[in-house]
Amino acid sequence: MEFIKSKLALGLAASLLISSAAFAAEEIQGGAVTASKPMSSALVPVTQAMLSASEGDGKHWLHPNGNYAQTRYYPASQIHTGNVGKLKPAFVFQTAVLESMETAPLIVNGVMFLTTSYNHVYAIDAVTGEEFWHYKHKMGAVTTFCCGPNNRGVAALDGKLFMGTLDAKLVALDAKSGKVLWETEIADPELGYSETMAPAAVDGKVLIGTNGGEYGIRGFVKAYDANDGKLLWTFYTIPEKGHEGVWNPNDATNRNMKRDIAAEKAALAKNGGDFYKTLGGGVWMTPAVDLESKTVFFVAGNPSPDLYGAERPGDNLYTDSIVAVDLNTGAYKWHYQYVAHDVWDLDAVSPPILTTAKGSDGKDRKVVIHGGKTGHVYVHDRATGELIRFSDAMVPQTGLWSLPTKEGARMDLGANGGVEWSPMAVNPKLRMAYAANLIQPMTYHVEAAAYPGGKLWLGGAFKTIPGGAQTGRLSAINLDTGKIAWQADTPQPLMGGILATAGGLVFNGEGNGWFKAFDAKNGKELWKFNCGAGANAPAVSYMVNGKQYIAVAAGGNTQLDFKRGNSVFVFALP
Amino acid sequence: MKKVLLAFSLLTSSLTGFAEDAAPSVNTPETCGVCHGVDGNSPAGVFPNLAGQNARYLYLQLKDFKEGRRNDPLMSPIAKQLEKKEMQALAKHFSEQKPKPVKFTADNTKAAAGKKIADDALCPMCHLGGFVGQNEIPRVAGQQPDYVRKQLTDFRARNRTNDAGNMTAYSASLTDDDIENLVHYIATLD
Repeated sequence: MEFIKSKLALGLAASLLISSAAFAAEEIQGGAVTASKPMSSALVPVTQAMLSASEGDGKHWLHPNGNYAQTRYYPASQIHTGNVGKLKPAFVFQTAVLESMETAPLIVNGVMFLTTSYNHVYAIDAVTGEEFWHYKHKMGAVTTFCCGPNNRGVAALDGKLFMGTLDAKLVALDAKSGKVLWETEIADPELGYSETMAPAAVDGKVLIGTNGGEYGIRGFVKAYDANDGKLLWTFYTIPEKGHEGVWNPNDATNRNMKRDIAAEKAALAKNGGDFYKTLGGGVWMTPAVDLESKTVFFVAGNPSPDLYGAERPGDNLYTDSIVAVDLNTGAYKWHYQYVAHDVWDLDAVSPPILTTAKGSDGKDRKVVIHGGKTGHVYVHDRATGELIRFSDAMVPQTGLWSLPTKEGARMDLGANGGVEWSPMAVNPKLRMAYAANLIQPMTYHVEAAAYPGGKLWLGGAFKTIPGGAQTGRLSAINLDTGKIAWQADTPQPLMGGILATAGGLVFNGEGNGWFKAFDAKNGKELWKFNCGAGANAPAVSYMVNGKQYIAVAAGGNTQLDFKRGNSVFVFALP
Repeated sequence: MKKVLLAFSLLTSSLTGFAEDAAPSVNTPETCGVCHGVDGNSPAGVFPNLAGQNARYLYLQLKDFKEGRRNDPLMSPIAKQLEKKEMQALAKHFSEQKPKPVKFTADNTKAAAGKKIADDALCPMCHLGGFVGQNEIPRVAGQQPDYVRKQLTDFRARNRTNDAGNMTAYSASLTDDDIENLVHYIATLD
């Protein structure tokens, strides 16, 4: 993914601000909890029953993406299309970390848990903004990460919070005090493993993937015992055998990718397939969980190196794929690959969503959907992975799939893709999915490059077009037809994610600081507020004492170099 | 050149001395300082300044010299003797030193042209504005002009390839004049 999502982002790699670079040294001194005010007596342990019922829960926000289905659909409607124009700030919480914010806060009975870059966690009063405690992770000496020192949030279960860290650890905190209950190393950061995703907590387990697709890791999803951090199972996104797949010449939309399959087969026969150990396949975002079928759904990112494919003949399974595994054992169920043998970093990052859509016979089917960097929303049968349909292209795709060259091959679809890590949202009543799009034409350059020992491994470069425009777009897709329902263009590429609500609203932030509400049916802009720094995080909603709030972090973005900030803005009706 | 010769001479004698010891050691800032300056400010343009460089970058470069991904007749044999903790300690030491301005008078016209090249090529996306660097991406601001020139030339010629294709791709289209302009631009940064 991420490469340019991760990735390199634009080029390159993760960028930090000057201020944050100076700040980083201080962060390494962390490992402390500062208590500011006694924890609210209203805080309750988040039970499995609460987590399981979250799709209909308008009081709390208990999952990074709202619920196990990851619809990011808030089911209450106090704030709606008729009154959203009156929305005002209720409070602004300033963290001590001036750097990219991608956090999706959790709210438990009026207590908000939010994270920042460099793995700080804050517990605050979700009505007043008063701080209860502040935890700073003690960062190890080695961190290897692409695209910013981000963190996207915590998971909660049974009085604990779980956070993945930049130095590839999983930390469990006491939700009341912020004190560390246990900590375990997920993988070796020296080899390029790191964590920015919010884990998922379910049935006594904590599920977490890994960054590192730009560093030659071997991707995975792991399940840990929520009580003690013991490893329960590992699913590697790169199988030791069979990663060459079926030698698919076409992408998921049946467009030819110009692979030289004969040459790839010859290379595999000659050199063998031992490169599975460094083939990438990071899992950047929180998995969806189907409690009924006990299935975990996630997407696996790009192969390593990003642009130089000669190192890695074959389809490079399960990179650029959606994958379903058994919740209890991690056993493989099915996969569907969107781009075989990717050499563009146009992989799969945005978290999968479980919802309902019509099949070709007009009958409702249980589906899992994914917004791809390719610029399509893919709709799959949840039980088999069958691709039921893919949406219209949400962004320009001229030049697809031009093979990277030394001089550079241009495609309108840049390496940050049409949808980056940004979570989509779904309005199940309107049967629409909402996606944050990027339009960044780039040239793709390839250079032969052997495994560089845990350093950034792109095998070339992505370059933007000098003087060329880079813009964004909010797209609504009809899931029953795959047609674009509406689109709203933005002056900058979008990164952060969407919130949909039963009030008929869609909330989305922009890199220029605007945080906006749209009519979910037609895309009409209904309200906006400028946060003063990039609103590049997914918004959440909750209710305390009968009043609905909308919260969004505005910390800017490293990957796209949007203006940094350090605040969470919370809005309510007067 | 005199300084360079002196440094080589000191290093040679230093290494010889170590070689005669029962437990040879190249793991001290003083040893590195023969070429790089104990405070990380190099006395000669062919040796890079290490003062203020990112520790992560320094460690990874030492590791690459040790494991053969980057090659240099002086650095490779030295790095081969270093253990991981020693490399990390050296990286930490030099990253904590304060960089001093290099003695070089930049041509304003060339520096302006160099800035345009840097901006068009998106150098700041990795190296950050002002080329201050971050994480594993090196600080280049205030680096020795001779060293900067050599690295860009080496990337372009693929004599240095431990960048995994990134800098080699970016430098592929640079002319000699482009490189010179970039050298002058970087010399204006501190």
